[in-house]
Amino acid sequence: MSRIAFALACLLAAHGVQAQDKDFQWPDLTDFLTRLIHELGPPIKVYKLEIDRDGKVDLWIQNQDRRDLIDSWEYDHGRIEGPIPIKFKEYPSLAALDHHVIELTTIDFPRLPSMLASARAKLALPDARVTYIELERGDSSGFIALTDSPIWTFHLETARHDGRVEFDLHGRMLDADKD
Amino acid sequence: MPTRTETSLTLAAALALANSTVLAAEAVAPAHPLDQPAALMAAFAARIGHRADVLEFRLGEHYARMLVQTGEDFDEYEAIPGQVMAQGTPRKAGSVECRKKLPFDAVDAALGVRLLAQARTIAAANGYQEPPNLELGAGMMCEELGWRVVLHSERNSEVFLHLTWSTDGTKAKAREFRDDSWHKVDPAKLLAGAAQVVPAAPPKGLPHVEGDGRKRDFLRSIDADLKRLAASTRAPLALRRISVDATQLSVDLYRADDRRTVSTWLVDADGRMQLWREDKTMALDCNKPFATGDFPLAQLPAMIADAPGLVAAMPGAVVKDVAVYRSGFCGKPHVYIRIEDERGYGNVEFDQAGRLLRADIQ
Repeated sequence: MSRIAFALACLLAAHGVQAQDKDFQWPDLTDFLTRLIHELGPPIKVYKLEIDRDGKVDLWIQNQDRRDLIDSWEYDHGRIEGPIPIKFKEYPSLAALDHHVIELTTIDFPRLPSMLASARAKLALPDARVTYIELERGDSSGFIALTDSPIWTFHLETARHDGRVEFDLHGRMLDADKD
Repeated sequence: MPTRTETSLTLAAALALANSTVLAAEAVAPAHPLDQPAALMAAFAARIGHRADVLEFRLGEHYARMLVQTGEDFDEYEAIPGQVMAQGTPRKAGSVECRKKLPFDAVDAALGVRLLAQARTIAAANGYQEPPNLELGAGMMCEELGWRVVLHSERNSEVFLHLTWSTDGTKAKAREFRDDSWHKVDPAKLLAGAAQVVPAAPPKGLPHVEGDGRKRDFLRSIDADLKRLAASTRAPLALRRISVDATQLSVDLYRADDRRTVSTWLVDADGRMQLWREDKTMALDCNKPFATGDFPLAQLPAMIADAPGLVAAMPGAVVKDVAVYRSGFCGKPHVYIRIEDERGYGNVEFDQAGRLLRADIQ
């Protein structure tokens, strides 16, 4: 796939996440990812993605020139900062990093708003606010725990409850809990 | 002062009236809550506006607070004397770890006032500070519901007196924390001063040696300061551990009179030496000292200088810190050098003869 085609694919994949939720300001991931692909070129391999309650994004990606290194790229309402070197307390092996990362093109960003709606419904907290949303490979907290797969985790709250809902990359719900 | 029956009747009336939104909007805390406990409870009842259970109730003349449960929801209400009470503040269910509770109309604020007065008398009789308030609740460990107060003393910050009463005030307990453990105290004897605070011992002046004005980089040399330390302690160094970074040298020494006690001396970049602390070793610790001749002290600066270059995958690394201590359970003293770059850490280890054992990324 050419660079332009790849960029377009990502653009399309990211299209729709600008749609505004009733009370969560989704970040403009289309803008962020398009500019990031333009800067770095494909492939973009995601170690971890976090979106905070204010819509700021912290994206950790594998450095494709030095695959044993992870860099953070931050996106704050149109402003991109990076690369910021990530310092691990115990540095993972190259094999572990290669396994851990998620190819950007496999991430279906347009699902995010519907996943948020599903999370609110599952928790029976229709007015819950987003605390943060994260994507990283790991084990689900649910019944089938040893998933070792990419997991979206939505952290929500109301004045009375905290909640957490996990989804796989296809939007299937893996686990939910509320306290 | 109203009786318990009068209080309950007042509460019942207040609860009945609480359905009126007009009254709820005008819930005003009494100006002197400890003189008007029934009025205080009526204000809480009016503000809450429905039947609820109480998990915590803090009572004092300047402030009162109540945590209540209604169904699955938890709310906090505050009363400030003479002021209109604000709406309750929702509390997250997950933050309420102890769910022990009692019905609102079982809370006897007049009893709380009497117990607070009693606690203050006990405090005065035993050398504690006057407690500002009393709390009805299950305590930090989710114990039995009851009235609780913790007394503190300016004479000795390591001593506390816990007083607890059952919710109806009929059973009292007291325990004192001193000498690092709890001791039961007969509540009946507290008014006679049976739990006097023992004043704290004056702090011991820890030994120290003033600096000599020379600026140090301990990653380049520590042998002169080890000699100074040996001279000031007037004994050969019985070493347990040496820890080094650029600006501080830390030396753990076994005490000559007690091999199970370790004294930690710190030396700063100006050469000021101070005994920082003394700790007992743990059961099954090695407790076998080593001497400066048991590891390659003279080679240490070169080992430290060479260490970053020994981990090829970390070309820009610098030394973070260095330690010398016995390897494994009770082996020979080895030199451990930790390096770091902007991505992570690495470890370099030399044995007692200065031979390189490992150099790798952490």
